[in-house]
Amino acid sequence: MSLVAEAFVSQIAAAEPWPENATLYQQLKGEQILLSDNAASLAVQAFLQMCNLPIKVVCRANAEYMSPSGKVPFIHVGNQVVSELGPIVQFVKAKGHSLSDGLDEVQKAEMKAYMELVNNMLLTAELYLQWCDEATVGEITHARYGSPYPWPLNHILAYQKQWEVRRKMKAIGWGKKTLDQVLEDVDQCCQALSQRLGTQPYFFNKQPTELDALVFGHLYTILTTQLTNDELSEKVKNYSNLLAFCRRIEQHYFEDHGKGSSSIRLS
Amino acid sequence: MAAPLELSCWGGGWGLPSVHSESLVVMAYAKFSGAPLKVNVIDNTWRGSRGDVPVLTTEDNFVSQPAKILNFLRKQKYNADYELSARQGADTLAYIALLEEKLLPAVLHTFWVESDNYFTVTKPWFASRIPFPLSLILPGRMSKGALNRILLTRGEPPLYHLREVEAQIYRDAKECLNLLSNRLGTSQFFFGDTPSTLDAYVFGFLAPLYKVRFPKVQLQEHLKQLSNLCRFCDDILNSYFRHSLGAFSCVNRKSAAD
Repeated sequence: MSLVAEAFVSQIAAAEPWPENATLYQQLKGEQILLSDNAASLAVQAFLQMCNLPIKVVCRANAEYMSPSGKVPFIHVGNQVVSELGPIVQFVKAKGHSLSDGLDEVQKAEMKAYMELVNNMLLTAELYLQWCDEATVGEITHARYGSPYPWPLNHILAYQKQWEVRRKMKAIGWGKKTLDQVLEDVDQCCQALSQRLGTQPYFFNKQPTELDALVFGHLYTILTTQLTNDELSEKVKNYSNLLAFCRRIEQHYFEDHGKGSSSIRLS
Repeated sequence: MAAPLELSCWGGGWGLPSVHSESLVVMAYAKFSGAPLKVNVIDNTWRGSRGDVPVLTTEDNFVSQPAKILNFLRKQKYNADYELSARQGADTLAYIALLEEKLLPAVLHTFWVESDNYFTVTKPWFASRIPFPLSLILPGRMSKGALNRILLTRGEPPLYHLREVEAQIYRDAKECLNLLSNRLGTSQFFFGDTPSTLDAYVFGFLAPLYKVRFPKVQLQEHLKQLSNLCRFCDDILNSYFRHSLGAFSCVNRKSAAD
């Protein structure tokens, strides 16, 4: 979006309060959605729960194509459509809800830096595992990604997406990495998150922020998704405070509200 | 250590020991950790590889990419992060990720994609350091690589248009510079009084942006307004690179003092 369009949208966003029928779109939960998309979707759901904003999750096979930026999840609020966590956080802020207002400048810088760390390492590792690791691609990804479509479209779309992701990996220098190196990077990232979290309940002590939502989305998805092997979730399980963190957010924000917790429970 | 450590990297100019961000990160880290590095500047002879610069060679090792080189130096006991706490180490990783995601696309754009800058400054500089006929091919390839990286990481499929992405990446870069400035505050380095890995990375990314003279300078102008970051770069240049500057400024571009 250009600068002018964004300013315009913010103004419109600020004008109306959050409606009751806001919806979040993602791919089909059981058969289609992949690890990285599920993590992103869960992060947005967690963020909205933390802001106490009601949201209904709707699963559509073509969610990726409906999204304005090509990425899931996206939310449909009033007559606006916003995709990805970053823009959604800004959109929600324009409506007057924010989790990070209480932070000072240095803390805000830290929060943004850690969010980039998660995107840079965890998300990229998830994409690598899904699309560049032959075993996972063959057994899980191809079948899931193309599942709503008839032959030969399912194969074509899966190969196209794989080609796109591989191009991106090559451009950022991950093309030559082996799976072990990627898992080591995940370990480093989890170690950094664990050290930053320490013994606090949330990353910025008492109140959760968008960083907590993002970390929860990724870690919970990694822990609860069945892959060809357990190496990825083992890396996360090494850090007990991260496990406690996930449990805490799950209990506080998803089980308590009791609304369709089946939409959160995976496999 | 007994084995001599040799670093192959791009040379300097405009008062910098190297114009290439990644080479500069490694050189700065070596200075901070006290590693004795013999620097081989790439020139326009056919000696040395140009592939994955910067490259560290020892007797039996060949390491490329800044992150791996820094890891290697740490294993050889040249550790600039010795005094950092675990949490500061975690912060380092996070800020490096911030630099790579938010600042790097705009720096790449300023150097390699913006046509005025590329054709008047970057291309002639690199071409003069690459032997003919590679000098006709390699800069173009580096430019394409930079454009590719920007579009693939920031562009929106299926139509990758540079114009839509340009405004966003410069905005992100300015925000990143503001965040770094806020984090640095009035201290000399990011973690106390001694420089560490994060200082090396920030210096490596910011110094070329700060010093190289470009025709199109919007990001540079923004950086110059953040006086603590400028002071940070100047301090490191004066304290750690003063002696070597004579050897490294191959290009005499001192048109006007800063």
